[in-house]
Amino acid sequence: MKRRAPLLAFLFLAMPLPCPAWAEDLVSGVSQDTIQITSNYTGTDIVVFGAIERPQSTQGRNIVVVVRGPDQTMTVRRRNRIAGIWINNDAARFEGMPAYYYLASTEPTARIAPPDALARYGIGLQALRPSATGSHHDPEPFRQAAIRHQQRSGLYAESPGSIDFLSETLFRTRVPVPAGATRGQYNVEVYLFRDGEVVSAQSTPFFVDATGLERRLFNMAHNVPLTYGLACVAMAMMLGWISAVLFRRPD
Amino acid sequence: MEIYLPVAEMSVNWLIIIALGTGVGFLSGLFGVGGGFLMTPLLVFAGIPSTVAVATTLSHVTASSMSGALAQWRKRAIDFTLAGVMLVGGVAGTIFGVWLFALMRRQGQMDLIVSLTYVIMLGSIGFIMLRESLASLKAYRSGRAVSHHAVNRGWILGLPFKMRFRQSRLYISVIPPIGIGFVVGTLSAIMGIGGGFIIVPAMIYLLRMPTRMVMGTSLVQIIAVTSITTVLQATHNFAVDIILAGLLVSGGVVGAQLGVRAGAKLRGEQLRFLLALLVLTVGAGLAWQLVARPADIYSLAEAAP
Repeated sequence: MKRRAPLLAFLFLAMPLPCPAWAEDLVSGVSQDTIQITSNYTGTDIVVFGAIERPQSTQGRNIVVVVRGPDQTMTVRRRNRIAGIWINNDAARFEGMPAYYYLASTEPTARIAPPDALARYGIGLQALRPSATGSHHDPEPFRQAAIRHQQRSGLYAESPGSIDFLSETLFRTRVPVPAGATRGQYNVEVYLFRDGEVVSAQSTPFFVDATGLERRLFNMAHNVPLTYGLACVAMAMMLGWISAVLFRRPD
Repeated sequence: MEIYLPVAEMSVNWLIIIALGTGVGFLSGLFGVGGGFLMTPLLVFAGIPSTVAVATTLSHVTASSMSGALAQWRKRAIDFTLAGVMLVGGVAGTIFGVWLFALMRRQGQMDLIVSLTYVIMLGSIGFIMLRESLASLKAYRSGRAVSHHAVNRGWILGLPFKMRFRQSRLYISVIPPIGIGFVVGTLSAIMGIGGGFIIVPAMIYLLRMPTRMVMGTSLVQIIAVTSITTVLQATHNFAVDIILAGLLVSGGVVGAQLGVRAGAKLRGEQLRFLLALLVLTVGAGLAWQLVARPADIYSLAEAAP
């Protein structure tokens, strides 16, 4: 919350900038620029907020907030029944799919803009396209499965109608970042739609990163895996030995 | 009650994980097995990624076995000579298993091979143990001497390189123990298990070791094999989660001690009968997963970035 004050000050400073009188404009920000993963991290919310400048009628005006996590490569496998057993015998590989995707909007996206406009800006789960695909078959069912799986684990979500207007021009929305969210850079994109067209957009990044012990353990596991593995074995043996001593009975 | 696992990159309820460790630890102390064959499927069921579950279970097995082995050691129920001979095969098997693991992963069939191996191993061993222990229990009740005709050991007695194992009162070839060690080392790398459910019956039925010595000796073998495999998993797959391991181990070592005590109150045949039931139950559960229609025939694997 301590970041609020400077950001609000920024909002006021930004307002009198010279701009064509007819253009609505958008200013937005996020409540935190870093999410620290600590030992009791179970997911958190970040607040995305913004203001519309030189507002016109609220009719035909819509806000869309899209949060994208770092890109990753996903492999989707399909099982088929062979000799009574379900066996993975098909796979598709998607590159450049976000590890996290969240959409908040004032209305269901289908009512905000035509599909081609939504696709152009990558708005909506159906607009998520991998940058490269490796598959022997039609990759579409595999892409749908990937989206379905991510939705189930809370990493992909669409939440129409979840943007609150505090006044005619000030709005905010809560974006849940679950515990399973990958470390890395996340981008918050805020779009202002007027009659199905984007009239203004703004992008703000935030970072999800581990801190303290969690970060050290993660780094150790990847940078000095031999030491890390030996430490695990040593810990296991020590605990086993300690318990044997503690539980020793004179017999 | 939630705690974040840095390598698995997820948060879990630590009370559930400790309870899981204690329960499985109790069974491992009771039967002299590591409990990996129970722990790995349970962790996957709790939502831990399977690579992390396989690799981290090994630490739990190491600790439970360490705790159990020390308890057996005080009872002078460990044959270190035999354990040492088995370990020669164990180290070779572990290295072979890690190579096989990488090969199967490239083919994209690792899950299937692992499940099939589990079902075949648990099913056949569970069945043999069940049959034998029932026969023993029946013989015990009717007051007859226990006859051992379950496995034909003629070919084992004829093998060369015989060695005397004083503590086990055996004079046998070193080939069967080395072979058992090799098979168990391989399975440890592939399945994330210590292999107790294979070593214990193999020692009882193939080597004819006294049941009293089997527990401690198999635990020593398991400690060595799981330690090596943990280090290999950490260096090759970065899949060992030390926080998860710590939680499992904390529960596991306490459970193992309680299990050893409970085991002292039961007879060998009864233990084998109960272990056989447990092994068959887990095997049947895994077999069902292979045959039943999955909720979603698509599954998602995040490839390394």
